[in-house]
Amino acid sequence: MYYVNGSSRGWTSLLTLFCILCLLITPAVSVKRENFKTCDQSGFCKRNRAYADTALSNSRWQAPYALDPSTVKFDKGVLTGTVLKKIINTNDNLRLPMRITFHESGTARVTIDEERRQKGDIELRHGSKARKERYNEAEKWAIVGGTTVSAGAALNSDAEKGTTRIMYGPRSRFEAVIRHEPFGVEFKREGETQIQFNDRGLMNVEHWRAKVDKPADEQKEGDEAVVAESDKEAAEDESTWWDEKFGGNTDSKPKGPEAVALDINFPGYQHVYGAAEHTGPLSLKETRGGDDKYTDPYRLYNSDVFEYEMDSPMTLYGSIPFMQAQKKDSNVGVFWLNAAETWIDVTKSTTSANPLSLGIGSEVTTQTHWISEAGLLDVFVFLGPTPQDVIGAYGELTGYSQLPQQFSIAYHQCRWNYVTDEDVKDVDRKFDKHRIPYDVIWLDIEYTDGKKYFTWDPMTFGDPLGMQKQLDDHERKLVAIIDPHIKNEGGYHVVDELKSKDLAIKNKDGNIYEGWCWPGSSHWVDCFSPKARDWWKGLFRYDKFKGTGKNSFIWNDMNEPSVFNGPETTSPKDNLHYGDWEHRDLHNINGMTFVNATYEALLSRDKDEDKHPVRPFVLTRSFYSGSQRLGAMWTGDNQAAWPHLEASIPMILSMGISGYPFAGADVGGFFGNPSKELLARWYQAGAFYPFMRGHAHIDTRRREPYLAGEPYTQIIAQAIRLRYSLLPAWYTAFHEASTTGAPIVRPNYYVHPGDEKGFGIDDQFYLGSYGLLAKPVTREGQEGQDMYLADGEKYYDYFDYWMYEGPTTVTVAAPLDTIPFLMRGGHIIPRRDRPRRSSGLMKFDPLTLVVVIGNSGDAEGTLYLDDGESFDYKEGAYVHRRFHYQGATSTLTSEDVAASPGKKTKEYLKQMEKVRVQKVIVVGAPQTWAGKHEVEISEEGGKSSSGTKKVPLEFHGREGGKAAWAVVRDPGVQIGSGWKIAF
Amino acid sequence: MRASEALICLKFLAIVYAASDAPRPRGVGPEFAKHYKDAKTFACISNPSIKLPFARVNDDYCDCPDGSDEPGTSACAHLSSYSPQTPGAANATQALPGFYCKNKGHVPSYVPFTNVNDGVCDYESCCDGSEEWDGVGGVKCEDRCKEIGKEWRKQDEVRQRSQTNAAKKRKELVAEAAKIKIGIQDRLQSLTTEIEGSELKVKQLETELADVERREKGKIVKPAGGKGGKMGVLIGLARDRTEDLREHLVRVRDERDSSRSRLQEVESILSTFKEEYNPNFNDEGVKRAVRAWEDYAARDKGPEPKAALDRDLEELTKTDKENGLDWDEYEAEEETDTDVLYAFENYLPSSLRGWLDQKLRDLRLMLVEGGILAASTDSSTESKHVTEARKRLKTAEKDLDGHRKDLKKHNEDLNDDFGPDDVFRALKGTCVSTDSGEYTYELCFLERTTQKPKKGGGHTNMGNFVRMERMTVDEDLPPNGKGLGSGERIVMKHENGQHCWNGPNRQTTVILGCAEENEIWKIMEEEKCIYRMEVGSPAVCEGANGGGGKGAGVKDEL
Repeated sequence: MYYVNGSSRGWTSLLTLFCILCLLITPAVSVKRENFKTCDQSGFCKRNRAYADTALSNSRWQAPYALDPSTVKFDKGVLTGTVLKKIINTNDNLRLPMRITFHESGTARVTIDEERRQKGDIELRHGSKARKERYNEAEKWAIVGGTTVSAGAALNSDAEKGTTRIMYGPRSRFEAVIRHEPFGVEFKREGETQIQFNDRGLMNVEHWRAKVDKPADEQKEGDEAVVAESDKEAAEDESTWWDEKFGGNTDSKPKGPEAVALDINFPGYQHVYGAAEHTGPLSLKETRGGDDKYTDPYRLYNSDVFEYEMDSPMTLYGSIPFMQAQKKDSNVGVFWLNAAETWIDVTKSTTSANPLSLGIGSEVTTQTHWISEAGLLDVFVFLGPTPQDVIGAYGELTGYSQLPQQFSIAYHQCRWNYVTDEDVKDVDRKFDKHRIPYDVIWLDIEYTDGKKYFTWDPMTFGDPLGMQKQLDDHERKLVAIIDPHIKNEGGYHVVDELKSKDLAIKNKDGNIYEGWCWPGSSHWVDCFSPKARDWWKGLFRYDKFKGTGKNSFIWNDMNEPSVFNGPETTSPKDNLHYGDWEHRDLHNINGMTFVNATYEALLSRDKDEDKHPVRPFVLTRSFYSGSQRLGAMWTGDNQAAWPHLEASIPMILSMGISGYPFAGADVGGFFGNPSKELLARWYQAGAFYPFMRGHAHIDTRRREPYLAGEPYTQIIAQAIRLRYSLLPAWYTAFHEASTTGAPIVRPNYYVHPGDEKGFGIDDQFYLGSYGLLAKPVTREGQEGQDMYLADGEKYYDYFDYWMYEGPTTVTVAAPLDTIPFLMRGGHIIPRRDRPRRSSGLMKFDPLTLVVVIGNSGDAEGTLYLDDGESFDYKEGAYVHRRFHYQGATSTLTSEDVAASPGKKTKEYLKQMEKVRVQKVIVVGAPQTWAGKHEVEISEEGGKSSSGTKKVPLEFHGREGGKAAWAVVRDPGVQIGSGWKIAF
Repeated sequence: MRASEALICLKFLAIVYAASDAPRPRGVGPEFAKHYKDAKTFACISNPSIKLPFARVNDDYCDCPDGSDEPGTSACAHLSSYSPQTPGAANATQALPGFYCKNKGHVPSYVPFTNVNDGVCDYESCCDGSEEWDGVGGVKCEDRCKEIGKEWRKQDEVRQRSQTNAAKKRKELVAEAAKIKIGIQDRLQSLTTEIEGSELKVKQLETELADVERREKGKIVKPAGGKGGKMGVLIGLARDRTEDLREHLVRVRDERDSSRSRLQEVESILSTFKEEYNPNFNDEGVKRAVRAWEDYAARDKGPEPKAALDRDLEELTKTDKENGLDWDEYEAEEETDTDVLYAFENYLPSSLRGWLDQKLRDLRLMLVEGGILAASTDSSTESKHVTEARKRLKTAEKDLDGHRKDLKKHNEDLNDDFGPDDVFRALKGTCVSTDSGEYTYELCFLERTTQKPKKGGGHTNMGNFVRMERMTVDEDLPPNGKGLGSGERIVMKHENGQHCWNGPNRQTTVILGCAEENEIWKIMEEEKCIYRMEVGSPAVCEGANGGGGKGAGVKDEL
């Protein structure tokens, strides 16, 4: 700013005015950023970024890590050795045990620890009781399978000098090349490098050291000039090694600096996805500044972020440190198994293969830099080549998503708060009165007696069981909130037990930790402790949590944990958990342990359930890799604003490709009052969220669908009924997710991994394997959507069969009452068209099959059905069919794709005998059917002696741009049996 | 009652059709029976050009665009503007109102097609369980019409009785309202007379005052310069002034005390607020308030009140007499030598004295009117006669003003909206209350709604009555009849109640339904600080406003 005498006053007042205006505007739109750290305010992130800057700006940089060849051993799929770290200013080498494990699944895992800490040969400051090892129990929580060590992995004797090479994976197509000095690993698939570790030399394991109070000017000795250079620049900037302060809280850091970091390159890959959860685009942005790039790394540190901002690398409520890279026809990934605060820098560099080719053949390499505050350096590597290969392998490791209860994928009605049991019953009746289906009604924190969980406010919820009875009459459920903070109040049995049994999180001195949350002064249950989980389990018994019935389920909120007066609204990092692990070591897992305890609790609430449990339903806000096994997540406290609706789609897609597909955003927006247009559009989008729940803040106006008024109520009802009619498809997609890890709503790159143009698309998606392509409107006043059709297939409008053909971008009309929704040729979609009051009441309804004929003339689709609530499917109580239409023979068949029958198969099939296919709609029916009036049906084991019967066929010819279609009238074939329809 | 009328009507039809035809297909109500007579073909009701073999009626497959071929199944349940629009079912509307339950022993009814064969016995709307004829999922719905019907009739009787009573009560209310109105009209009349009288009286007193003043002006004034006289005036002035000061001091002290206690209350509220607010809630307003409070609390608050000074003040504010100052004592010394001198008249014979006196008076008056002598009308020295005359006038004027205000008020009152038949005139100020949660809620008709915490503490005004409106409601009626039902209802709007933290001023919408007693049925906070009260009152038991034995007060069973 220039200060020229006379004019400065004018400038100052203008500036002041501007500042005042800013003050007026900003609070309404933005997160309270100052409550959360930037990389610069997080000591280890700052140190490692500076380390990277030093390394990358110095051409003589040599990473100070080397694998000692004499220590290298390979035995039964496991390569071990010791990496030596040269310590600055000394001739000492620090010993870092390294282990690379090759799994049968084709996954490789690189783990680096610190020997001195393994042995406990360190001293902690401030007399801390914390454990001395680096945290090595993340796998206990995150990993459940896929770790069978590969018998086929083998040393390649052709290794160049200074390297070790291992061939592994299916048909030994994969290879790991370990460079000894400086230490680095390259992963190849069929000879081509896909992933590089420490190629840029940013690997950094901050070893334990004693705090030395020395004068500022330090003595330098030794001849390792390059390393010493970095020392001066950044690496040894001690200012953030010891106690760190932020927002009035001090982290005592008894172990000093202990970060781990590694650069991971994806050569030739333009796009990386994952690192959920953030609000930005699905394809991750660069984070080192520049146009439309972030300046801060992606952060993973589960936090209660109030009014979070759009398009930001800021951390949110949950973390999945799993990343995929995509290039044409190839997808690879890494999973950074670390539960401490983590930052990820993403940059892309373009290299030209031939300087004369002027961009032709130029290649983009995506470079990432992973930085965690503590714990092991522990990375899993997936070499693809398809997105499903990578996601599936990740799912095998961390578990596939739960096969949820049927009700939980239907519509949920929530509000903070339904204020009395009568209020709940009233809302329940009003849904019926307006013929809008819903399955679940929710209770937020106000149902409790003074925010004491496991109690009911006697004034407002005097008859919780009566309320649940009314819900149960129409197979509806109640979900009540239970949070991990336990009110610190005398005479409250839960806190009394928590204290007397010593099951709470402790502070750095080993005393019970006390902080503030909804109830005021609170303690937190430590679900890392087996005893605490056991106790927690007991609290949910029907005779203990009185007032809960069999149709009640649980919502776990605030489990990051949210601590109102804690640093960054969460637990202090030097708090202690079971096993004397510091909170910093396991922070991102904390939320998952709580849900895990609740999940276990819901499996046995009385003697009946002990023997024959139903599948639990738990919603969580905080999560980590593995949380998908336990229930659903939602994107937390969003706002009733168009940008939040728009952001919800990439966010949910990102969850889907991160192995946690049971995801949703609050329909309508949590904070603020949505306009009716926004509400209607949000229901249209929400009908495609795997987890569909309307929710609202306590200060907002009521907005149950029937209150909107026409035409909005009608538009919302249509969206909800669309969801209900497609529930058989949704449930099948959930089943697929629970067996293969496949996303439920799928981005373009996942479905078309060869289509580079679609890699950045994240505002449209496919539902399951059904070729159903949706692009809900997310902008105000928008009446049309451009939809990208990636392939040369035929696409039909779901509602009127208008025909489109790819590959191209088409404009689909989208007046307020219309969702842009297409059916891709070649698929068969199962539906249940009869609207009911809840999904439970559709259990025995007949099905409609929509056969969408594509270019090949063929179509196929699957259907999975079970009782929707118990674990009987594990004993064969389910129907799993594949429908196949062959153009060549004009026949539609149903074949069994169930695994071999179990002991409950027969009983279930008997139950489903009456459930039939009532209608087959063939979209894009051949013109040759115009004269056809019947089709012939044969059913396996048919009771009729003839074995075949004829039913009418009704043909509708093409009309303008609308496809020809035909309807088979009531084929009446059983859904659970084999049959054939000949056209 | 419409339902019972319908019942009779349906029974009649049923008899007619039963007599002439084969049984109707499942789910068909008697009024539609004529469409299902042909045993061979069926024509869709809204599109008779579409003809189907009769075998397709109730075959659980939807053929007709209006769903009329499936009166007894859920196959056409999707035909609705609430369903996703698909070819063949676009813009569909149902020809039939639903699945017809005969409910023998009770009132026949229609059940929505969505509820047919869904595995749930909908006894509330279909007591014979006939809508679950297919035994879906093994469900069996036995006929419960006998007991449900019996119970219903029992309750209906109660309802009828209560409605009769309610209607009677309303009549009473209307009569009372009329009486009150007449009372007001009477009062208006008498007020007019009173005003006339008062006006006369005021005029009279005005004249009287002028007269007295005139007379007083003629009084001989004591010559200026008299030492005692001046002193007397001074004493009078001082006395009045001290008295004034004392009164003001007392008032100021009272004001100070009340401000001090209010400040203490506010400070304690704010310090509790600072302790208990949720720092994570990130409400800028709250945070600003907390910061401002912290700044305020940190500032020097000035001297603490000193008890000794207060005691002095206490002494000071005692009456002068108690302080040893007796003004009368000084005033009594008024008579001076000059006074005696002036009293020379006393030495003259009485006749002469009268004459002289008169002449002197006249002279004085002349001089005063001629502007030569100053009049002795200084207010501080105004004579008792004038003061009293003025006082009388003022009282009379006040009376007149009061009467006029009354007149205006009563006139306005007569023109106010008290609802149909003026009925709420009789309820004005009547209060009803109910407990809900930790509060007691109170409605005082045409005045206000109030929330009172049961645990004690201040009452919260939830809005002052502003006007009456009408609103269409559509609610289920509970069996006891205590609910709004469907139709247009009278609504009382209450606005501008106590301001809400982070929200608007409290408002309450009171919706009235017909009931035997005035009672609050339900209270809901529809959104932050916007309340809805459902209230029963006999006042609305007639015409379009409520059941009253005939209207739409009871849920239309169909």
